[in-house]
Amino acid sequence: MPDPAFRPKVLITKIGLDGHDRGSRIVAAHLRDAGVEVVYTPPWQDIGTVVKLAIEEDVDLIGVSSLATDHLIVPKLMRALRDAGAGDVAVIVGGIVPDADEKMLLDAGVARVFHPGVKLEDIAAYVHDASATVRTQRFPVTPNA
Amino acid sequence: MPRTDAPPAADRSPAAALAARVAALRAGDRATLARAITEIENELPSAPALHAALREHAGHAHVVGITGPPGAGKSTLINALVTELARRGKRVAVAAVDPSSPVTGGAVLGDRVRMDIGIADNVFIRSLASRGHGGGLARTTPRVVDVLDAAGFDTIVVETVGAGQSDVDIAAFADTSIVVSPPGLGDGIQAIKAGILEIADILVVTKADTPNATRTERDLLDMLRLRARKEGWRVPVLCTSATTGDGIAKLADTLDEHARAAGIGRRVQRTKDPAVTPLPADRNEALRILASRDAFVRHCGIEFVSGGAGRAAVRMRVGHEHLNFNGTCHGGAIFTLADTAFGLASNSHGVIAAGIDAHATFHTAVRAGDVLVAQATEASRGRRTAIYRVDVLRDADLVATFTGTVYVTTRGHA
Repeated sequence: MPDPAFRPKVLITKIGLDGHDRGSRIVAAHLRDAGVEVVYTPPWQDIGTVVKLAIEEDVDLIGVSSLATDHLIVPKLMRALRDAGAGDVAVIVGGIVPDADEKMLLDAGVARVFHPGVKLEDIAAYVHDASATVRTQRFPVTPNA
Repeated sequence: MPRTDAPPAADRSPAAALAARVAALRAGDRATLARAITEIENELPSAPALHAALREHAGHAHVVGITGPPGAGKSTLINALVTELARRGKRVAVAAVDPSSPVTGGAVLGDRVRMDIGIADNVFIRSLASRGHGGGLARTTPRVVDVLDAAGFDTIVVETVGAGQSDVDIAAFADTSIVVSPPGLGDGIQAIKAGILEIADILVVTKADTPNATRTERDLLDMLRLRARKEGWRVPVLCTSATTGDGIAKLADTLDEHARAAGIGRRVQRTKDPAVTPLPADRNEALRILASRDAFVRHCGIEFVSGGAGRAAVRMRVGHEHLNFNGTCHGGAIFTLADTAFGLASNSHGVIAAGIDAHATFHTAVRAGDVLVAQATEASRGRRTAIYRVDVLRDADLVATFTGTVYVTTRGHA
């Protein structure tokens, strides 16, 4: 049974030069309606900014939206997160990702790739579960002394 | 994947681990700071001890509250102000509170959208959802500010949710309160004049490069003339433009002047609010405090007797207000007494437990003047649920038996 008071905290962002942010806005709004606390950024973020933001906000999960090949720099983001000691955050990618690239992303440590046509409810359910797993690892429940 | 920089927990005693975290946080480790805020914000069981340890080091930052109606330009002003403060060599933290949906509890925290200074090394920004708390802040925001204070920031800027007449929480703990008004909103001024104008140490008219700014400035000055001056401080009206940068340096200067005039860290010296003081480790005392915070328990005349791990006892003298139409004690009153013991016993382990099922059987009638004692004991406790049995006694007579089940959360009591 999920803890009804658990609030995932996630970052929805876009890296690279592509400005098509309709998808990230729709997902951010839907996650809000699904009880998620969403830190939202405009497109065109650089990787260093995303890493700093993810650490300061202590998000459980990062959702990267990509329409025009920005997903190709996600492995760079994964490396930067690990180098900054934030390798435990779950990263998902949503948008236009060719099948051949999906494997490359998963190999780089991306937890899940969402393709066009996915149901928003399925994204929200995944975000809840993945966030709960990360949060539990960060704050293991210790029996009271 | 576990964090590679964190030593295995088993290597350290809890006290040593806490001391190490406090040291890392005070040495400027951002990840440690961010995680501490998560712990406080979510009121995890370990949060009270962490907060108490950090509060020892608080009281040195200048806490600046910024409030004003939606769209007034608060985030944009903060970006310009923080840029100026950082340029002057200050380490600055921002706690930006955005509203949670009252329906789903979700939130979009978008204040960072307008704060591009967030990338600077000496600036730390954290977005917080209000989580249903009124007054413009989240319930835990004052504690989050203590954490940022302990981390050694020179200035902590707290941006609050919108502003209405009740959004005055910020004044209770900010050293300096800035109330922001955009120009051209006659109604905007109407909205603030009765409620939050009184809390302002500094009034700011934003978007000063647009028409009507002068008019708004004059209106605010008129209103200030109509009320008593704050002791030792004349509330200024400043016009700023984040677009042109006009007025931002003056605002930074004025903040320094106010800090010198009014002092900083007042909230730390102030007597602690008993409602937010961490519960003591002694369970009997912790349960006594929880019972004292329960409005319904007080209303029904129920007294706390004793408590411990997985158990609690409470007492009630049956009065005429507890009687039903047959002149005997109302079953609901007996149920309430048993439920109170159940609630305390199930909340005796340091985390919040929420009742999900309860059942009572009444064995004998109870009259006015009888004294009832309910004794709850833990029948079983798992990771997610726990079951309790409660006996309601009149001296040695068993008056009612009660069983209840709780859902066990991972959150500690405030």
